[in-house]
Amino acid sequence: MNSLRFDMANLLCGLLLIATGIFFALESLDLELGTALRMGPGYFPFILACALMLFGAIILVQAFRAEGEPIGPIAIRGMLFILPAPIIFGLILRGMGFVPSIFLTALFASFASQRMTPLYAVLLSAGLTIFSLLVFVYGLNLPFRAFGPWLGF
Amino acid sequence: MKILNAVLGATALAAVSLVSTIAQAAGYPERQITMVVPFAAGGPTDTVARLVAESMSKTLGQQIVVENVGGAGGTLGAARVANADADGYTVLLHHIGMATSDTLYRKLPYETLNAFEYVGLVTEVPMTLLARKDMEANDLAGLIEYAKANKDKVTVANAGIGAASHLCGMLFMSAIETPLVTVPYKGTGPAMTDLLGGQVDIMCDQTTNTTKQIQGGTVKAYAVTSPERLEILKDLPTVKEAGLPQMEVGIWHGVYAPKGTPKEAVDKLSEALKVALKDNNVSTRFAELGTAPSPESDATPEALKAKLESEIARWKPVIEAAGQYAD
Amino acid sequence: MDLFNNLALGFATASSIENLFFCLIGVILGTLIGVLPGIGATATIAMLLPITFQLEPVSSLIMLAGIYYGAQYGGSTTAILINMPGESSSAVTAIDGYQMARKGKAGSALAIAAIGSFFAGTVSTFLVAIFAPPLTEVALKFGAAEYFSLMVVGLVSSIALAHGSIVKALAMVALGLLLGLVGTDIYTGTARFTLGVREYADGLNFVAVAVGVFGIAEILRNLESEKTRSILMAKVTGLLPSKEDFRAMIAPVLRGTAIGSVLGILPGGGAILASFASYTVEKKISDHPEEFGRGAVAGVAGPESANNAGAQTSFIPLLTLGIPANPVMALMIGAMIIQGIVPGPNVASEQPALFWGIIASMWIGNLMLVVLNLPLIGLWVKLLTIPYYVLFPIIMTFCAIGVYSVNSNVYDLYSVAFFGLIGYVLAKLRCEPAPLLLGFVLGPLLEENLRRAMILSRGDPMTFINRPISAGLLICAALVLVIVFLPSVKKKRAEVFVEED
Repeated sequence: MNSLRFDMANLLCGLLLIATGIFFALESLDLELGTALRMGPGYFPFILACALMLFGAIILVQAFRAEGEPIGPIAIRGMLFILPAPIIFGLILRGMGFVPSIFLTALFASFASQRMTPLYAVLLSAGLTIFSLLVFVYGLNLPFRAFGPWLGF
Repeated sequence: MKILNAVLGATALAAVSLVSTIAQAAGYPERQITMVVPFAAGGPTDTVARLVAESMSKTLGQQIVVENVGGAGGTLGAARVANADADGYTVLLHHIGMATSDTLYRKLPYETLNAFEYVGLVTEVPMTLLARKDMEANDLAGLIEYAKANKDKVTVANAGIGAASHLCGMLFMSAIETPLVTVPYKGTGPAMTDLLGGQVDIMCDQTTNTTKQIQGGTVKAYAVTSPERLEILKDLPTVKEAGLPQMEVGIWHGVYAPKGTPKEAVDKLSEALKVALKDNNVSTRFAELGTAPSPESDATPEALKAKLESEIARWKPVIEAAGQYAD
Repeated sequence: MDLFNNLALGFATASSIENLFFCLIGVILGTLIGVLPGIGATATIAMLLPITFQLEPVSSLIMLAGIYYGAQYGGSTTAILINMPGESSSAVTAIDGYQMARKGKAGSALAIAAIGSFFAGTVSTFLVAIFAPPLTEVALKFGAAEYFSLMVVGLVSSIALAHGSIVKALAMVALGLLLGLVGTDIYTGTARFTLGVREYADGLNFVAVAVGVFGIAEILRNLESEKTRSILMAKVTGLLPSKEDFRAMIAPVLRGTAIGSVLGILPGGGAILASFASYTVEKKISDHPEEFGRGAVAGVAGPESANNAGAQTSFIPLLTLGIPANPVMALMIGAMIIQGIVPGPNVASEQPALFWGIIASMWIGNLMLVVLNLPLIGLWVKLLTIPYYVLFPIIMTFCAIGVYSVNSNVYDLYSVAFFGLIGYVLAKLRCEPAPLLLGFVLGPLLEENLRRAMILSRGDPMTFINRPISAGLLICAALVLVIVFLPSVKKKRAEVFVEED
C-alpha cells in the first residue's frame, strides 16, 4: 500500500512542469543558442527551460514524500462554459458585430452556473448588451460596429 | 439550363454588386469610417492619426474612428486593411514602416505595392542625431571622426527593429561607412533613459521624442535630418549644412485604402485630407510635435505612390547591408 | 521648496473635477470588490485595465490606484463584520476585529480600522513625495548591469515572500519568465515560441495573461462549489471609539505605519507581509498578549495601518525605477505602457503632473474613503447578498470587451481563455500565480538587460561584479536566497503564511 501514498497535486504539477520545460527546451534548440558571452535568441530561454524541468523534477520527488490535501472539486461545468466565452466573442465579433456578439457571449457564460435559469440568463444578457452598447460604443466611442456584415449590414 | 442559370445568376450578382458599389460611392460616406493605426494608442503615429481623423470627420460629415491594431512593426494593421472590404470605410494611416517592412519582413501577408489604393501624404517628421551629454565631439564632423576612430567602442541605441531610430541609425552607419555597435531597446523610453545616463553614445530619433531633451540640454544634438532648419530648434544645423546630406530623411506618414476601393471614395478622402492639412488646429498641434503638415501638392494619391516606391528602393540596400531582418 | 511646489502641482492635477470623479469611482469600486470575498484587487484591476485605456493617463492611473487602496479598506469591513477577509491583507484584521464585533464593538472596530488606515495613508503619501524624487536621480545612474541585478533581487524576494512551497514559486517565476519571452527577439528579430502566429510577434498580451491567470481562474474557483454565502453578521452600533480605545490605538498605529512603509518598498511584499509583521510585533511588545485573539484594539489598529502604508509605499519603486513591487504594481506598469508612458526615472521629469497627481490623489483617495465608507457600511453589507451567478457573466462580458479593445486583436481573446485554464490548473495544483505574473513582466527586461550589459561590456561577465551598485544588489539577492533556505527561517515562514487563504 506504500506505493499509493503520494500527493496527487504535486505529482501532476511536477509532470506538467517537466513537460512544459521539454517543450520550451526543444523550441529553444531550434533557435540560435550562441555562447554565454555572445548570447543568441535561444540561450536564455534554454537555460530557463532546463531550470523549469529541474524544479518539476524536485516537485515530482516531493510528491512521494508525503500525502497532501486532495485536489478537491473541479469546476467542469464552469470550464465548459466560461473558457469558450471569450473565444466565441473573438470568432463572431468581426462578422456579426458588437450587439449579437455580446449577447451570445454573456448568454453562453451564464450557463456556467447550475443556478441560472434560461429566462433569467436571457434577461441578464439583454440587459448587459444594452448597457455595454451605451457605455462602450456610445459613451467611450470604442471602434465597434453594432451589427456586422454577416447580418447584411 | 444549369449553365445558363449559373451565368444568369453570376451576371445578376455582378450587376447587383456593381449597382451597390456605385450607389455606395455616390452617397459616400454614409456611415462611420474606421482609420486603422498599426501602432499602439498614445504614440506619435496615433496622435497624428487622431488629429487628422478629427478634422477629416468634419469635412466628410461622418465620424472617422481610429482603431489601433498594433503589432509586428505595423504589418498586422497593414494586413488588416489590405484584407478589408474595399468600400472606402476602412483606411490605413501608416508611416515610413510601410516601405521598410517590405524589405525588413521576408514573409509579408500582403504585397506592399499591389495591396493598396493611395490617398495622400500627411506629414514628414524630421529626425535628430543625438549623443550623450558628455560626448567629446562638438559638431557632426567631430562626431564622425570620433566614431571612426573608436568604432569598436561607440554604441548606437535604437528602439527596436524597424523603429525610426533603428532606420536612422542604420542610415548614419551607412553614410559614414563605419559599422558601430548597435544596442537595441524595447521602445524609445528606455533607450532615451540610457542615453541620458550616458550608458550609450549615440541615438537618432524623431523630433517628437527628442525636442524636450534637446531644449533641456540633457543630450547633445548634432543635426536635424530635414532639408530646412526647424522653427523650434533654430540653432540646430541640418545634415546638409553639417556635411552629411545622405542623412536627409523623414518619418513620412501616408493614408491608404484597400486595393479596389472606388475612385470616388478615394478622391473624397483625398480632398478631406487636403482640408485637414490646412486646418489651423492640426498645424498647431503638429508644430508642438516638431513637425508640419505636408504641402497640399503632396496630399494626393500620386505623390504618396511615388514616395512609397522611391522609399522602398532607397531602404532596400541599407537594410540588406545591415543584414538584420524582423522575421 | 521644490517639494511643496511639486505637491501643489499634484493637488491641482488630482483635484480637477474629472480626476476627483475617477478617484471616487476607483475607491468605490475598490471598496466594493474588497467587501465581496472572492474577487480580489489584482483580478479587478486586471479586468479594468483595458477599459482605462480610453481615459486620460492621469485619470486612469488615479482610478486604478484608488481601486488598490479602496480594496484594502473594503477588505477590512468584511473581515470585521463576517470574519471573512475580503482581501488577503486583511486576514489578520479578522482575528481581533471580528472578536471586537462580537463584543458589540463592531462600530469602534470599523472606525479604528478606518482612522488607522487614514493616518498611515497620509504619512506614507508624504514618504512617497519625499523619497521618490531623490531615488529617480539614483535611478538614472543605473545601466543595464544594475537593472539586471536589481531585477534578480526583485525576483528572489518575490520567491521569499510567496506562500507555500519555495520550489513551486521558483518554478512559477521560471514559467513566467519563459512566457514573457514569447515574441520577437529584439536583438536578432527572430520569432520565439510564437507557433507561427504573427499576432503573437509582439509577445503575449499582458492584459490577456493577467485577466486569464487571475480573473478567469478566480471565477472558476468560485464556481467549484456553489454554496450560498451565509452571512452571520454582527450588528454595527456606535461608530465612535471610546477614549480608552483611542489611547490604545495611537502607538500601534504609529508602529504599523513605520513597519508598513518599510516593507511596502521591498519587492514582492507590500501590504500582506506588512500586516502580518505588524500583528506579530504588537503581540510581542504588548503588556497583555493574552488579549490578542479576543478583541485587542492594537490587533486591529496596527495591521490595518501597516497594510495601508505598505500599499502606498509600494508605489515608490514603480514611480522611480519602473519596477513593480507586487502584482498590482505590475498591472499599473501595464496601464502606463498602454497609455504610452514608459515607467522609469523619466516619468517624474517628463510628466510631473502625472507623477505628482498620482501621489496627491492617494491622499485625496484616502480622505474620500474615510468620509464615504463609515456612512456607507450598511450599503456594502447589502452587497454581500448579490448572488455570484449574476456577477460572473457580467465580469466575463466586460473582460472580453476590454481585452479586445486594447489592440483589436482576437488572438488576445484566445489567450485569455488559454491562460484562464492555466491559471485554474495552477491554482488546483497549489501554485501561486503572483510569481508567474512578476516573472512574465520581468522576463523580457531581465533577458534584455543581461544581453545589453554583455554587449556594452564587450562580452565581459565581470561587469556585474565590477560595477559597485550591481555587485551590491547581487550580494543582497544571494543573502535573501540563503536566508530563505535556512532551516529555522523556513519553519517560521511556514507559520507566518499558515493563516492565509
